[in-house]
Amino acid sequence: MTALEISGLRKTYTDDYSGEEVTAIDEVSFGVEKGEFVSVLGPSGCGKTTVLNIVAGFVDLSGGTVVVDGRPVAGPGPDRGVVFQSHALFPWKTAYGNVVFGLRMRGVPRTERDERAREYLDLVGLGGFEHRYPHELSGGMQQRLGVARVLANEPAVMLMDEPFASIDAQTRRKLQEDLTRIFESRRPTVFFVTHDVDEAVFLSDRVVVLSGRPSRVRDIVEVPLSRPRRWDEALALPAFRATANRVNELLAGDEDDAGHLDAVS
Amino acid sequence: MTTVSAKPVRTTARPPRPAPLWRRLVRTGTFRTLGPFVPVIALWWLVAALEVFPESFFVGPPEVVDKLGELLEKGILPGYLSDSLTRLGYGVGFGLLIGLPLGYAVAMLPRLRRFCWPILLFFQAIADIAWLPIVIVWFGFSLTSVTFVLVYTIVFPLMLSVVAGVEQVPRELIRAARSLGAGRWRVFLEVIVPGALPSVAGGIRTGLGYGWRALVAAEIIVGTSGVGFMMFDARRVGDISQVFLGMAVLGALWYALDALILAPFERATVERWGMVRRLEADG
Ligand SMILES: Nc1ncnc2c1ncn2[C@@H]1O[C@H](COP(=O)(O)OP(=O)(O)O)[C@@H](O)[C@H]1O
Ligand SMILES: [Mg+2]
Repeated sequence: MTALEISGLRKTYTDDYSGEEVTAIDEVSFGVEKGEFVSVLGPSGCGKTTVLNIVAGFVDLSGGTVVVDGRPVAGPGPDRGVVFQSHALFPWKTAYGNVVFGLRMRGVPRTERDERAREYLDLVGLGGFEHRYPHELSGGMQQRLGVARVLANEPAVMLMDEPFASIDAQTRRKLQEDLTRIFESRRPTVFFVTHDVDEAVFLSDRVVVLSGRPSRVRDIVEVPLSRPRRWDEALALPAFRATANRVNELLAGDEDDAGHLDAVS
Repeated sequence: MTTVSAKPVRTTARPPRPAPLWRRLVRTGTFRTLGPFVPVIALWWLVAALEVFPESFFVGPPEVVDKLGELLEKGILPGYLSDSLTRLGYGVGFGLLIGLPLGYAVAMLPRLRRFCWPILLFFQAIADIAWLPIVIVWFGFSLTSVTFVLVYTIVFPLMLSVVAGVEQVPRELIRAARSLGAGRWRVFLEVIVPGALPSVAGGIRTGLGYGWRALVAAEIIVGTSGVGFMMFDARRVGDISQVFLGMAVLGALWYALDALILAPFERATVERWGMVRRLEADG
Protein backbone atom coordinates (compact mmCIF):
# COMPACT_ATOMS: atom_id res chain seq x y z
CA MET A 1 0.00 0.00 0.00
CA THR A 2 1.22 3.49 -0.80
CA ALA A 3 1.57 5.87 2.13
CA LEU A 4 2.87 8.84 0.17
CA GLU A 5 2.55 9.55 -3.53
CA ILE A 6 4.23 12.55 -5.16
CA SER A 7 3.48 13.08 -8.85
CA GLY A 8 4.65 15.78 -11.20
CA LEU A 9 5.62 18.05 -8.30
CA ARG A 10 6.73 21.51 -9.36
CA LYS A 11 7.65 24.54 -7.30
CA THR A 12 8.60 28.05 -8.33
CA TYR A 13 9.49 30.74 -5.83
CA THR A 14 9.04 34.40 -6.58
CA ASP A 15 12.03 36.37 -5.43
CA ASP A 16 10.81 39.05 -3.00
CA TYR A 17 13.15 41.74 -4.30
CA SER A 18 13.63 41.20 -7.99
CA GLY A 19 10.21 39.67 -8.53
CA GLU A 20 11.92 37.00 -10.62
CA GLU A 21 10.56 33.47 -10.76
CA VAL A 22 12.97 30.81 -9.52
CA THR A 23 12.20 27.20 -10.32
CA ALA A 24 13.31 25.08 -7.36
CA ILE A 25 11.59 21.83 -8.35
CA ASP A 26 11.09 21.07 -11.99
CA GLU A 27 9.38 17.70 -11.96
CA VAL A 28 9.58 15.22 -9.11
CA SER A 29 7.57 12.00 -8.88
CA PHE A 30 7.96 9.02 -6.58
CA GLY A 31 6.04 7.06 -3.97
CA VAL A 32 6.72 5.69 -0.50
CA GLU A 33 5.13 2.41 0.51
CA LYS A 34 3.74 1.82 3.97
CA GLY A 35 6.54 0.71 6.27
CA GLU A 36 9.19 1.74 3.78
CA PHE A 37 12.25 3.93 4.42
CA VAL A 38 12.90 6.22 1.46
CA SER A 39 15.65 8.83 1.28
CA VAL A 40 15.74 11.81 -1.01
CA LEU A 41 19.32 12.64 -1.86
CA GLY A 42 20.74 15.57 -3.72
CA PRO A 43 23.31 18.36 -3.58
CA SER A 44 22.69 21.29 -1.23
CA GLY A 45 20.24 23.81 -2.62
CA CYS A 46 18.64 21.36 -5.03
CA GLY A 47 15.23 21.56 -3.41
CA LYS A 48 15.12 18.66 -0.93
CA THR A 49 13.80 20.77 1.91
CA THR A 50 11.27 22.29 -0.44
CA VAL A 51 9.92 18.84 -1.31
CA LEU A 52 9.70 17.95 2.38
CA ASN A 53 8.05 21.26 3.29
CA ILE A 54 5.45 20.72 0.61
CA VAL A 55 4.70 17.21 1.87
CA ALA A 56 4.53 18.58 5.43
CA GLY A 57 2.09 21.23 4.25
CA PHE A 58 4.32 24.15 5.29
CA VAL A 59 4.72 25.38 1.72
CA ASP A 60 2.25 25.41 -1.19
CA LEU A 61 3.09 23.55 -4.38
CA SER A 62 3.03 25.19 -7.81
CA GLY A 63 2.04 22.09 -9.73
CA GLY A 64 1.46 18.34 -9.42
CA THR A 65 -0.07 16.41 -6.55
CA VAL A 66 0.97 15.11 -3.14
CA VAL A 67 -1.25 12.43 -1.65
CA VAL A 68 -0.84 10.97 1.85
CA ASP A 69 -2.95 7.95 2.81
CA GLY A 70 -5.23 8.65 -0.12
CA ARG A 71 -5.84 12.31 0.74
CA PRO A 72 -4.29 15.29 -1.07
CA VAL A 73 -2.13 17.34 1.27
CA ALA A 74 -3.63 20.64 2.44
CA GLY A 75 -1.69 22.35 5.22
CA PRO A 76 0.20 20.70 8.08
CA GLY A 77 -1.41 17.84 9.97
CA PRO A 78 -0.66 15.12 12.51
CA ASP A 79 -0.57 12.44 9.78
CA ARG A 80 2.82 13.91 8.75
CA GLY A 81 5.17 14.36 11.70
CA VAL A 82 8.39 16.25 11.09
CA VAL A 83 11.85 15.79 12.62
CA PHE A 84 13.81 18.99 12.06
CA GLN A 85 17.53 19.52 11.68
CA SER A 86 17.34 22.14 14.43
CA HIS A 87 15.30 19.63 16.53
CA ALA A 88 12.56 22.25 17.15
CA LEU A 89 11.74 20.79 20.56
CA PHE A 90 9.67 23.02 22.84
CA PRO A 91 12.23 24.45 25.29
CA TRP A 92 9.59 25.04 27.99
CA LYS A 93 8.46 21.43 27.98
CA THR A 94 10.29 18.49 29.49
CA ALA A 95 11.14 15.43 27.41
CA TYR A 96 7.87 13.95 28.61
CA GLY A 97 5.96 17.15 27.77
CA ASN A 98 7.38 17.17 24.27
CA VAL A 99 6.48 13.54 23.62
CA VAL A 100 2.88 13.87 24.82
CA PHE A 101 2.32 17.15 22.98
CA GLY A 102 0.76 15.58 19.88
CA LEU A 103 -1.33 13.20 21.96
CA ARG A 104 -2.68 16.09 24.01
CA MET A 105 -3.51 18.04 20.87
CA ARG A 106 -5.47 15.09 19.58
CA GLY A 107 -7.34 14.54 22.83
CA VAL A 108 -5.83 11.19 23.82
CA PRO A 109 -6.82 10.43 27.44
CA ARG A 110 -4.20 10.97 30.10
CA THR A 111 -3.54 7.38 31.14
CA GLU A 112 -2.97 6.34 27.56
CA ARG A 113 -0.75 9.37 27.00
CA ASP A 114 1.45 8.46 29.95
CA GLU A 115 1.74 4.90 28.79
CA ARG A 116 2.67 5.86 25.25
CA ALA A 117 5.10 8.55 26.35
CA ARG A 118 6.96 6.02 28.48
CA GLU A 119 6.92 3.50 25.66
CA TYR A 120 8.39 5.87 23.09
CA LEU A 121 10.91 7.45 25.45
CA ASP A 122 12.14 3.94 26.19
CA LEU A 123 12.18 3.14 22.47
CA VAL A 124 14.61 5.98 21.75
CA GLY A 125 16.68 5.25 24.85
CA LEU A 126 15.50 8.24 26.88
CA GLY A 127 13.80 6.30 29.69
CA GLY A 128 14.73 8.11 32.91
CA PHE A 129 15.20 11.45 31.16
CA GLU A 130 11.52 12.37 31.03
CA HIS A 131 11.92 15.31 33.43
CA ARG A 132 14.84 16.88 31.60
CA TYR A 133 14.34 20.00 29.53
CA PRO A 134 15.68 19.90 25.96
CA HIS A 135 18.63 22.18 26.74
CA GLU A 136 19.69 19.68 29.38
CA LEU A 137 20.06 16.93 26.75
CA SER A 138 22.92 16.29 24.33
CA GLY A 139 22.47 16.95 20.62
CA GLY A 140 22.00 13.26 19.93
CA MET A 141 19.44 12.90 22.69
CA GLN A 142 17.57 15.92 21.38
CA GLN A 143 17.25 14.35 17.94
CA ARG A 144 16.10 11.05 19.42
CA LEU A 145 13.52 12.94 21.46
CA GLY A 146 12.38 14.60 18.24
CA VAL A 147 11.87 11.14 16.74
CA ALA A 148 9.96 9.94 19.81
CA ARG A 149 7.73 13.02 19.70
CA VAL A 150 6.74 12.22 16.12
CA LEU A 151 6.42 8.44 16.45
CA ALA A 152 4.30 8.66 19.62
CA ASN A 153 1.76 10.48 17.47
CA GLU A 154 1.68 7.52 15.04
CA PRO A 155 1.73 9.52 11.80
CA ALA A 156 1.15 8.00 8.36
CA VAL A 157 4.65 9.13 7.47
CA MET A 158 7.57 10.54 9.43
CA LEU A 159 9.40 13.33 7.58
CA MET A 160 13.04 13.93 8.48
CA ASP A 161 15.04 16.85 7.09
CA GLU A 162 18.79 16.20 7.52
CA PRO A 163 18.25 15.48 11.22
CA PHE A 164 21.88 14.47 11.85
CA ALA A 165 23.62 17.08 9.70
CA SER A 166 24.69 19.31 12.59
CA ILE A 167 25.90 16.47 14.82
CA ASP A 168 29.51 15.34 15.14
CA ALA A 169 30.54 12.41 12.96
CA GLN A 170 31.01 9.95 15.82
CA THR A 171 27.57 10.54 17.31
CA ARG A 172 26.02 10.63 13.86
CA ARG A 173 26.98 7.01 13.19
CA LYS A 174 25.45 6.01 16.50
CA LEU A 175 22.25 7.94 15.77
CA GLN A 176 21.94 6.36 12.34
CA GLU A 177 22.16 2.93 13.97
CA ASP A 178 19.60 3.96 16.59
CA LEU A 179 17.25 5.14 13.88
CA THR A 180 17.70 1.91 11.92
CA ARG A 181 17.02 -0.12 15.05
CA ILE A 182 13.85 1.90 15.75
CA PHE A 183 12.76 1.53 12.16
CA GLU A 184 13.37 -2.20 12.20
CA SER A 185 11.36 -2.70 15.38
CA ARG A 186 8.41 -0.44 14.52
CA ARG A 187 8.39 -0.19 10.75
CA PRO A 188 7.08 3.36 10.49
CA THR A 189 6.94 4.94 7.04
CA VAL A 190 9.91 7.30 6.72
CA PHE A 191 10.70 10.02 4.23
CA PHE A 192 14.28 11.07 4.88
CA VAL A 193 16.14 13.98 3.33
CA THR A 194 19.95 14.08 3.23
CA HIS A 195 22.95 15.08 1.15
CA ASP A 196 25.11 12.28 2.66
CA VAL A 197 25.36 9.28 0.31
CA ASP A 198 26.49 6.72 2.91
CA GLU A 199 23.76 7.81 5.29
CA ALA A 200 21.09 7.44 2.62
CA VAL A 201 22.28 3.99 1.58
CA PHE A 202 22.72 2.72 5.12
CA LEU A 203 19.27 3.80 6.29
CA SER A 204 17.04 3.36 3.26
CA ASP A 205 15.14 0.75 1.33
CA ARG A 206 15.24 3.05 -1.68
CA VAL A 207 17.16 6.23 -2.48
CA VAL A 208 15.63 8.92 -4.70
CA VAL A 209 18.53 10.78 -6.32
CA LEU A 210 17.75 14.34 -7.39
CA SER A 211 19.62 16.46 -9.89
CA GLY A 212 20.84 19.96 -9.08
CA ARG A 213 18.39 22.83 -9.15
CA PRO A 214 15.84 22.86 -10.69
CA SER A 215 15.49 19.34 -9.41
CA ARG A 216 14.28 16.30 -11.26
CA VAL A 217 14.48 12.69 -10.20
CA ARG A 218 17.68 11.34 -11.70
CA ASP A 219 16.95 7.78 -10.67
CA ILE A 220 15.58 5.72 -7.81
CA VAL A 221 18.07 3.20 -6.42
CA GLU A 222 17.03 0.05 -4.51
CA VAL A 223 19.30 -0.80 -1.58
CA PRO A 224 19.88 -4.57 -1.64
CA LEU A 225 20.91 -4.86 2.02
CA SER A 226 19.08 -7.07 4.47
CA ARG A 227 17.98 -5.89 7.90
CA PRO A 228 18.93 -5.56 10.68
CA ARG A 229 21.79 -3.34 9.54
CA ARG A 230 24.83 -2.27 11.51
CA TRP A 231 27.59 0.05 10.37
CA ASP A 232 30.53 -2.30 10.89
CA GLU A 233 28.75 -5.02 8.92
CA ALA A 234 27.43 -2.73 6.20
CA LEU A 235 30.82 -1.19 5.50
CA ALA A 236 32.25 -4.66 4.95
CA LEU A 237 29.56 -5.64 2.43
CA PRO A 238 30.40 -5.29 -1.26
CA ALA A 239 26.71 -4.56 -1.91
CA PHE A 240 26.93 -1.46 0.31
CA ARG A 241 29.93 -0.04 -1.56
CA ALA A 242 28.40 -0.91 -4.93
CA THR A 243 25.16 0.87 -4.10
CA ALA A 244 26.95 3.93 -2.74
CA ASN A 245 29.12 4.02 -5.88
CA ARG A 246 26.05 3.82 -8.07
CA VAL A 247 24.44 6.73 -6.20
CA ASN A 248 27.65 8.74 -6.42
CA GLU A 249 27.76 8.20 -10.16
CA LEU A 250 24.21 9.44 -10.49
CA LEU A 251 25.07 12.56 -8.53
CA ALA A 252 28.19 13.08 -10.60
CA GLY A 253 25.95 13.30 -13.68
CA ASP A 254 25.41 16.85 -12.43
CA GLU A 255 28.91 17.83 -13.47
CA ASP A 256 27.73 18.16 -17.04
CA ASP A 257 24.79 20.45 -16.49
CA ALA A 258 25.27 22.38 -13.24
CA GLY A 259 28.36 21.70 -11.17
CA HIS A 260 26.63 21.60 -7.79
CA LEU A 261 29.00 18.84 -6.78
CA ASP A 262 30.88 20.76 -4.15
CA ALA A 263 28.17 20.08 -1.59
CA VAL A 264 28.17 16.34 -2.08
CA SER A 265 30.28 14.39 0.33
CA MET B 1 31.39 27.14 38.65
CA THR B 2 35.05 26.35 38.99
CA THR B 3 37.40 29.22 39.45
CA VAL B 4 39.81 29.67 36.61
CA SER B 5 42.96 31.59 37.32
CA ALA B 6 43.93 34.12 34.72
CA LYS B 7 47.63 33.26 34.85
CA PRO B 8 48.96 30.00 33.48
CA VAL B 9 49.25 27.41 36.20
CA ARG B 10 52.84 26.41 36.92
CA THR B 11 52.36 23.39 39.12
CA THR B 12 51.09 20.30 37.39
CA ALA B 13 49.30 17.17 38.58
CA ARG B 14 48.45 18.51 42.02
CA PRO B 15 45.04 17.88 43.54
CA PRO B 16 42.99 21.11 43.59
CA ARG B 17 43.24 22.86 46.93
CA PRO B 18 40.01 23.89 48.66
CA ALA B 19 39.10 27.48 47.83
CA PRO B 20 40.56 29.99 50.29
CA LEU B 21 38.29 31.38 52.97
CA TRP B 22 37.81 34.79 51.38
CA ARG B 23 36.70 33.15 48.15
CA ARG B 24 34.10 31.07 49.93
CA LEU B 25 32.90 34.17 51.75
CA VAL B 26 32.58 36.06 48.48
CA ARG B 27 30.37 33.32 47.11
CA THR B 28 27.70 33.51 49.81
CA GLY B 29 24.36 34.98 48.82
CA THR B 30 24.44 37.70 51.48
CA PHE B 31 27.80 38.92 50.33
CA ARG B 32 26.74 38.94 46.70
CA THR B 33 23.67 40.96 47.57
CA LEU B 34 25.17 43.47 49.98
CA GLY B 35 28.88 43.33 49.18
CA PRO B 36 28.83 45.75 46.24
CA PHE B 37 27.23 48.41 48.46
CA VAL B 38 30.07 48.41 50.99
CA PRO B 39 32.39 50.68 48.96
CA VAL B 40 29.48 52.93 47.97
CA ILE B 41 28.46 53.45 51.58
CA ALA B 42 32.09 53.87 52.62
CA LEU B 43 32.58 56.59 50.02
CA TRP B 44 29.36 58.28 51.06
CA TRP B 45 30.47 58.18 54.67
CA LEU B 46 33.89 59.55 53.80
CA VAL B 47 32.48 62.46 51.78
CA ALA B 48 30.12 63.30 54.64
CA ALA B 49 32.82 62.99 57.33
CA LEU B 50 35.26 65.20 55.41
CA GLU B 51 32.50 67.82 55.19
CA VAL B 52 33.11 68.44 51.53
CA PHE B 53 29.59 69.88 51.44
CA PRO B 54 27.90 71.80 54.24
CA GLU B 55 25.82 69.60 56.54
CA SER B 56 22.58 71.20 55.43
CA PHE B 57 23.28 69.90 51.91
CA PHE B 58 24.79 66.49 52.52
CA VAL B 59 24.35 64.09 55.42
CA GLY B 60 26.12 60.83 56.15
CA PRO B 61 24.83 57.31 56.84
CA PRO B 62 24.42 57.73 60.64
CA GLU B 63 21.99 60.64 60.23
CA VAL B 64 19.98 58.68 57.68
CA VAL B 65 19.86 55.60 59.91
CA ASP B 66 18.71 57.78 62.81
CA LYS B 67 16.01 59.22 60.60
CA LEU B 68 14.98 55.75 59.51
CA GLY B 69 14.57 54.73 63.18
CA GLU B 70 12.58 57.85 63.94
CA LEU B 71 10.19 57.50 61.00
CA LEU B 72 9.72 53.79 61.63
CA GLU B 73 8.87 54.51 65.26
CA LYS B 74 6.38 57.20 64.36
CA GLY B 75 4.84 54.91 61.76
CA ILE B 76 5.22 57.51 59.02
CA LEU B 77 7.53 55.49 56.81
CA PRO B 78 5.53 52.25 56.96
CA GLY B 79 2.36 54.21 56.16
CA TYR B 80 3.91 56.03 53.21
CA LEU B 81 5.58 52.87 51.99
CA SER B 82 2.36 50.94 51.97
CA ASP B 83 0.66 53.81 50.12
CA SER B 84 3.36 53.77 47.45
CA LEU B 85 3.30 50.00 47.13
CA THR B 86 -0.48 49.94 46.89
CA ARG B 87 -0.32 52.43 44.03
CA LEU B 88 2.42 50.45 42.35
CA GLY B 89 0.35 47.29 42.79
CA TYR B 90 -2.71 48.85 41.17
CA GLY B 91 -0.68 50.38 38.38
CA VAL B 92 1.25 47.22 37.59
CA GLY B 93 -1.84 45.03 37.94
CA PHE B 94 -3.90 47.05 35.51
CA GLY B 95 -0.85 47.64 33.33
CA LEU B 96 -0.30 43.91 32.88
CA LEU B 97 -4.02 43.24 32.53
CA ILE B 98 -4.23 45.71 29.67
CA GLY B 99 -0.76 45.50 28.15
CA LEU B 100 -0.39 41.73 27.80
CA PRO B 101 -3.67 40.92 25.97
CA LEU B 102 -3.37 44.05 23.86
CA GLY B 103 0.25 43.23 23.03
CA TYR B 104 -0.57 39.68 21.98
CA ALA B 105 -3.58 40.89 19.97
CA VAL B 106 -1.51 43.47 18.10
CA ALA B 107 1.26 40.94 17.54
CA MET B 108 -1.05 38.22 16.24
CA LEU B 109 -3.41 40.23 14.04
CA PRO B 110 -1.53 41.85 11.15
CA ARG B 111 -4.38 44.19 10.27
CA LEU B 112 -4.84 45.42 13.81
CA ARG B 113 -1.09 45.84 13.97
CA ARG B 114 -0.84 47.92 10.83
CA PHE B 115 -3.64 50.08 12.18
CA CYS B 116 -2.29 50.41 15.72
CA TRP B 117 1.43 50.79 15.13
CA PRO B 118 1.49 54.54 14.37
CA ILE B 119 -0.84 55.20 17.30
CA LEU B 120 1.36 53.10 19.54
CA LEU B 121 4.47 55.02 18.57
CA PHE B 122 2.70 58.36 18.91
CA PHE B 123 1.44 57.75 22.42
CA GLN B 124 4.62 56.08 23.54
CA ALA B 125 6.41 59.31 22.71
CA ILE B 126 4.34 61.38 25.13
CA ALA B 127 6.20 61.12 28.40
CA ASP B 128 4.11 59.66 31.18
CA ILE B 129 4.58 62.70 33.39
CA ALA B 130 3.35 64.92 30.56
CA TRP B 131 -0.06 63.41 31.16
CA LEU B 132 -0.20 64.56 34.76
CA PRO B 133 -1.61 68.06 34.18
CA ILE B 134 -4.60 66.80 32.25
CA VAL B 135 -5.04 63.74 34.44
CA ILE B 136 -5.22 65.96 37.52
CA VAL B 137 -7.93 68.00 35.80
CA TRP B 138 -9.86 64.81 35.09
CA PHE B 139 -9.38 62.82 38.27
CA GLY B 140 -8.03 65.31 40.81
CA PHE B 141 -5.26 64.48 43.30
CA SER B 142 -6.37 60.89 43.60
CA LEU B 143 -5.23 57.31 43.39
CA THR B 144 -6.91 57.17 39.99
CA SER B 145 -4.56 59.84 38.63
CA VAL B 146 -1.46 58.05 39.85
CA THR B 147 -2.74 54.70 38.60
CA PHE B 148 -3.49 56.20 35.20
CA VAL B 149 0.04 57.48 34.80
CA LEU B 150 1.51 54.20 35.99
CA VAL B 151 -0.61 52.09 33.67
CA TYR B 152 0.26 54.41 30.82
CA THR B 153 3.96 54.03 31.57
CA ILE B 154 3.83 50.25 31.76
CA VAL B 155 1.51 49.42 28.88
CA PHE B 156 3.59 50.71 25.96
CA PRO B 157 6.97 49.11 26.61
CA LEU B 158 5.10 45.95 27.55
CA MET B 159 3.15 45.88 24.28
CA LEU B 160 6.26 46.52 22.22
CA SER B 161 8.11 43.73 24.00
CA VAL B 162 5.23 41.32 23.42
CA VAL B 163 5.25 42.11 19.70
CA ALA B 164 9.02 41.64 19.57
CA GLY B 165 8.70 38.41 21.54
CA VAL B 166 6.06 36.95 19.24
CA GLU B 167 8.24 37.75 16.25
CA GLN B 168 11.16 35.95 17.84
CA VAL B 169 9.33 32.63 18.24
CA PRO B 170 11.17 30.30 15.83
CA ARG B 171 9.04 29.39 12.84
CA GLU B 172 10.04 25.75 13.19
CA LEU B 173 8.44 25.51 16.63
CA ILE B 174 5.14 26.67 15.19
CA ARG B 175 5.51 24.26 12.30
CA ALA B 176 6.36 21.40 14.66
CA ALA B 177 3.24 22.10 16.72
CA ARG B 178 1.05 22.30 13.63
CA SER B 179 2.32 18.97 12.31
CA LEU B 180 1.71 17.38 15.70
CA GLY B 181 -1.96 18.30 15.40
CA ALA B 182 -2.22 21.69 17.11
CA GLY B 183 -4.82 24.09 15.71
CA ARG B 184 -4.18 27.81 15.50
CA TRP B 185 -5.54 28.52 18.97
CA ARG B 186 -3.47 25.78 20.58
CA VAL B 187 -0.40 27.00 18.70
CA PHE B 188 -1.00 30.42 20.23
CA LEU B 189 -1.47 29.15 23.77
CA GLU B 190 1.14 26.40 23.75
CA VAL B 191 3.87 27.84 21.55
CA ILE B 192 3.58 31.57 20.97
CA VAL B 193 2.73 32.63 24.52
CA PRO B 194 5.62 30.74 26.18
CA GLY B 195 7.90 31.28 23.18
CA ALA B 196 7.58 35.05 23.54
CA LEU B 197 8.25 34.93 27.27
CA PRO B 198 11.96 35.87 27.26
CA SER B 199 11.13 39.16 25.59
CA VAL B 200 7.92 39.62 27.59
CA ALA B 201 9.78 39.06 30.87
CA GLY B 202 12.21 41.75 29.78
CA GLY B 203 9.26 44.00 28.97
CA ILE B 204 7.70 43.45 32.38
CA ARG B 205 11.00 44.34 34.00
CA THR B 206 11.39 47.49 31.91
CA GLY B 207 7.75 48.45 32.40
CA LEU B 208 7.99 47.98 36.13
CA GLY B 209 11.18 50.03 36.29
CA TYR B 210 9.56 52.88 34.38
CA GLY B 211 6.46 52.53 36.52
CA TRP B 212 8.43 52.78 39.72
CA ARG B 213 10.05 56.02 38.58
CA ALA B 214 6.78 57.43 37.28
CA LEU B 215 5.18 56.63 40.61
CA VAL B 216 7.71 58.67 42.55
CA ALA B 217 7.38 61.56 40.10
CA ALA B 218 3.61 61.42 40.30
CA GLU B 219 3.70 61.36 44.09
CA ILE B 220 5.90 64.42 44.14
CA ILE B 221 3.39 66.31 42.00
CA VAL B 222 0.04 64.78 42.93
CA GLY B 223 1.12 63.48 46.29
CA THR B 224 -0.67 63.59 49.52
CA SER B 225 1.32 60.62 50.78
CA GLY B 226 3.89 58.08 49.64
CA VAL B 227 7.67 57.95 49.51
CA GLY B 228 7.89 60.52 46.72
CA PHE B 229 5.71 62.91 48.69
CA MET B 230 7.74 62.28 51.83
CA MET B 231 10.93 63.36 50.06
CA PHE B 232 9.39 66.44 48.56
CA ASP B 233 7.78 67.43 51.81
CA ALA B 234 11.10 66.96 53.63
CA ARG B 235 12.82 69.26 51.18
CA ARG B 236 10.19 71.94 51.86
CA VAL B 237 11.02 71.93 55.56
CA GLY B 238 14.76 71.49 54.90
CA ASP B 239 15.07 67.98 56.36
CA ILE B 240 17.93 66.69 54.23
CA SER B 241 18.37 63.37 56.02
CA GLN B 242 14.76 62.55 55.20
CA VAL B 243 15.40 63.29 51.52
CA PHE B 244 18.43 61.00 51.61
CA LEU B 245 16.43 58.35 53.39
CA GLY B 246 13.75 58.53 50.70
CA MET B 247 16.32 57.97 47.99
CA ALA B 248 17.83 55.00 49.80
CA VAL B 249 14.37 53.52 50.34
CA LEU B 250 13.53 53.82 46.63
CA GLY B 251 16.65 51.96 45.62
CA ALA B 252 16.30 49.29 48.30
CA LEU B 253 12.67 48.69 47.41
CA TRP B 254 13.40 48.23 43.73
CA TYR B 255 16.16 45.83 44.65
CA ALA B 256 13.75 43.88 46.85
CA LEU B 257 11.11 43.82 44.12
CA ASP B 258 13.65 42.41 41.72
CA ALA B 259 15.04 39.87 44.17
CA LEU B 260 11.68 38.71 45.51
CA ILE B 261 9.47 38.71 42.42
CA LEU B 262 11.13 39.35 39.06
CA ALA B 263 14.30 37.30 39.42
CA PRO B 264 12.57 34.20 40.88
CA PHE B 265 9.97 34.36 38.11
CA GLU B 266 12.68 34.42 35.45
CA ARG B 267 14.65 31.69 37.20
CA ALA B 268 11.59 29.45 37.23
CA THR B 269 10.73 30.04 33.58
CA VAL B 270 12.99 31.31 30.83
CA GLU B 271 16.22 30.49 32.68
CA ARG B 272 14.99 27.03 33.67
CA TRP B 273 14.13 26.35 30.04
CA GLY B 274 17.51 27.50 28.79
CA MET B 275 15.93 30.25 26.71
CA VAL B 276 18.14 33.02 28.08
CA ARG B 277 21.61 32.96 29.47
CA ARG B 278 21.81 33.50 33.18
CA LEU B 279 23.30 36.76 34.33
CA GLU B 280 25.36 35.03 37.00
CA ALA B 281 26.65 31.51 36.73
CA ASP B 282 25.88 29.70 39.96
CA GLY B 283 28.67 28.96 42.41
N1 LIG C 1 11.18 30.73 0.57
C1 LIG C 1 11.98 30.74 -0.53
N2 LIG C 1 11.96 31.79 -1.39
C2 LIG C 1 12.76 31.80 -2.47
N3 LIG C 1 13.60 30.82 -2.82
C3 LIG C 1 13.67 29.75 -2.00
C4 LIG C 1 12.87 29.65 -0.82
N4 LIG C 1 13.13 28.47 -0.21
C5 LIG C 1 14.07 27.87 -0.97
N5 LIG C 1 14.38 28.62 -2.06
C6 LIG C 1 15.34 28.26 -3.11
O1 LIG C 1 15.00 26.99 -3.62
C7 LIG C 1 16.15 26.20 -3.79
C8 LIG C 1 16.02 24.90 -3.02
O2 LIG C 1 16.13 25.14 -1.64
P1 LIG C 1 16.02 23.98 -0.56
O3 LIG C 1 14.76 23.23 -0.79
O4 LIG C 1 16.22 24.56 0.77
O5 LIG C 1 17.27 23.06 -0.96
P2 LIG C 1 17.99 21.90 -0.13
O6 LIG C 1 17.16 21.54 1.04
O7 LIG C 1 18.13 20.78 -1.12
O8 LIG C 1 19.33 22.41 0.27
C9 LIG C 1 17.34 27.02 -3.34
O9 LIG C 1 17.99 27.52 -4.46
C10 LIG C 1 16.74 28.13 -2.52
O10 LIG C 1 17.47 29.30 -2.71
MG1 LIG D 1 17.68 21.57 3.14
